Amino acid sequence: MTPAQINPTPPVEALPTPEIQPFTAEPIRYVAEDGLPIHTLPAAYTPERLRELHGVMLRAREFDRKLITLLRQGRTTFYAQSSGMEATQVGLAHSIRPGHDWVWPYYRDHTLALALGVPMFELISQVLGSNSDPSRGRQMPHHFAARKQHFVSISSSIANQVPPATGTAMAQKYLGTDEITVCTFGDGATSEGDWHAGMNMAGAMAAPCLFVCENNQWAISTNLRGQTASENIHIKAKAYGMPGFYVDGNDIVAVMEVCTHAAEWVRAGNGPALVECLTYRVGSHSNADADAEKHYRTREEVQEWLGRDPVVRVEKLLEHLGHPIESRERADMIAAVHRDVDEQVIRAEATGQPDWRIMFEDVYSDMPAHLREEAAMLRAEQEGERK
Amino acid sequence: MTATQERQDMKAASEPRTINLITAVTEALHEEMERDSRVVLFGQDVGARGGVFMATAGLQATFGKERVFDTPLSEASIVGAAVGMAVRGLRPVAEIQFADYMGPGFDQIISQAAKMRYRSGGQYSAPLVIRTPSGGGVKGGHHHSQSPESYYTHTPGLKVVMPSTPYDAKGLLKAAIRGEDPVIFFEPKRLYRASKGEVPGHDYTVKIGEAAVRREGSDLSLIGYGGVMPDLERAADALETEGVSVEVIDLRSLVPWDRELVVDSVQKTGRAVLVSEAPRISNFMGEVAYAIQDAAFDSLLAPIGQVAGFDIPYPYVQDKIYLPGPNRITAACVQALNY
Repeated sequence: MTPAQINPTPPVEALPTPEIQPFTAEPIRYVAEDGLPIHTLPAAYTPERLRELHGVMLRAREFDRKLITLLRQGRTTFYAQSSGMEATQVGLAHSIRPGHDWVWPYYRDHTLALALGVPMFELISQVLGSNSDPSRGRQMPHHFAARKQHFVSISSSIANQVPPATGTAMAQKYLGTDEITVCTFGDGATSEGDWHAGMNMAGAMAAPCLFVCENNQWAISTNLRGQTASENIHIKAKAYGMPGFYVDGNDIVAVMEVCTHAAEWVRAGNGPALVECLTYRVGSHSNADADAEKHYRTREEVQEWLGRDPVVRVEKLLEHLGHPIESRERADMIAAVHRDVDEQVIRAEATGQPDWRIMFEDVYSDMPAHLREEAAMLRAEQEGERK
Repeated sequence: MTATQERQDMKAASEPRTINLITAVTEALHEEMERDSRVVLFGQDVGARGGVFMATAGLQATFGKERVFDTPLSEASIVGAAVGMAVRGLRPVAEIQFADYMGPGFDQIISQAAKMRYRSGGQYSAPLVIRTPSGGGVKGGHHHSQSPESYYTHTPGLKVVMPSTPYDAKGLLKAAIRGEDPVIFFEPKRLYRASKGEVPGHDYTVKIGEAAVRREGSDLSLIGYGGVMPDLERAADALETEGVSVEVIDLRSLVPWDRELVVDSVQKTGRAVLVSEAPRISNFMGEVAYAIQDAAFDSLLAPIGQVAGFDIPYPYVQDKIYLPGPNRITAACVQALNY
């Protein structure tokens, strides 16, 4: 990404408003890396509003940090951070109507979930596999589902949420609702057959689906250049007959504006659209490759992207607008999140683990005879051991 | 409509009729679409043409392009879309032209459809039906003749069904569409027009998971499903002319399957011969054999016999001799009887 060309001399109001056009060579950006607006900020971005967005992003950042601590303490087994991607996920959330639109997410979307109003307690319960986990301890940490927010269950297979998302959008069209479906994935997913199949079907069927590529540039240890010879991801939309938008995924204003624009376009019955948010996974893929810098990427690269931190960018913007977040205030916010996570963890752990008896439930709508028999066998074994 | 006409129509509707298996499929789809507007039908060529075997013929003309439509040529998309529609509250019935083409949709079936209810702790479910013609006997070579049912029986969360009569095809398909679980519905393509039988004029379903006793007997239990069933009947006929009393069982459903009925039968007859046309290794009948020896070992008078397809890709030219025909089935029965 080329750093934004900043000319701080003219007053912000005098700057041109960008038109949100598909297929741009450079990612659409409103706020430069040093926090200065490149374009006139839309009126909705009052300092109060920006502070609110900053709060959600900081909360997600600290949630990540605390969950990594939890992992290190051995209280959970897996965690995939979204640090560095807060602007993308929080920004996207603002184009989604929670509990009305439907979301087929991928596994790094807990910030999106938090921003859509999925209670932190539910996420923590799922990560811990505790009795309070709405998914009943059935999936590895992080693979949650939240019915109330229409957040459909996360799959570990890459890109296989794309064709179902298309199907949900087709159903919405059939039912004549004004809902849309939002489907997220990383850059790696765009190499999978299911991605192309689902995108193609959505285009051919004019399904009201917003596809969002959270391009964090690494699929475990394969970088974007190793992933595709394509110039970028969003231009692939052209092949499927839908508009593709390219946005600086670390600029929350740009993400909100572009995603909302694309979502409205989809909502208006124009068919699907693709948004590529160019961002960066600052942490490792998961705890399984915590030594990422040693093996597949350089410390310099990470440092460079830390300089584009989306949370810091909003802080700089607020400072520029004359509404700085004081360091004491920031520290208090962080401390509050840590306290909150600690409390929720204690609360979730107190609910215990789901009973093994539920292991045989939810395979089918009714438990067939062979499962009843296997359950009885396990019961005898477990109860025998207890005697 | 006058009251007299209505009564006449009701009378006509209550008359049983003899139809073939593919007509039974079409009727089931027609009636279920009429009953429930959430039922939508799609796949490749299912619309104007009515599918390669014409199972959906006339349905688009009746129900419109919104409910019966052709999709891009992509099994992953067809199955995946069915999952997404089901999650959103529709009752999708997807057609895959041949079971042999389900490969690209396999991950959608096993990773999404089969696990949606379980992995979400019951927050979501994927009640969908995937209909697909399967099995050999139509000179189709290995991309139009395979019997891949075991791949699907191995995945918890899926129901797997394969009828062999028009009555079962209609009743089981209706049950599959009305049910709350994902169902893989294999249609033995060589029986589409060869299998004829009576269906009631009124609405009915056949419960998924129950086998049918096609004829009662006391010397041997001959057990199969799908395309081989007429051959089981022929073998039983041949044996009966020799004075052997054969019990013929059609499993109809593989998951869940009717273990109780099979075990009861073998406890009565003491001998079992299991027939399917899928390759022998990891054949579903291996599961049936295990269940019989587990629950009816003391009743067995002979080792359990198995007639299966060979462990080779399905051959084109040798189509007919690949299949377990009546001779091979009869020979396996004789071996069990003479043990």
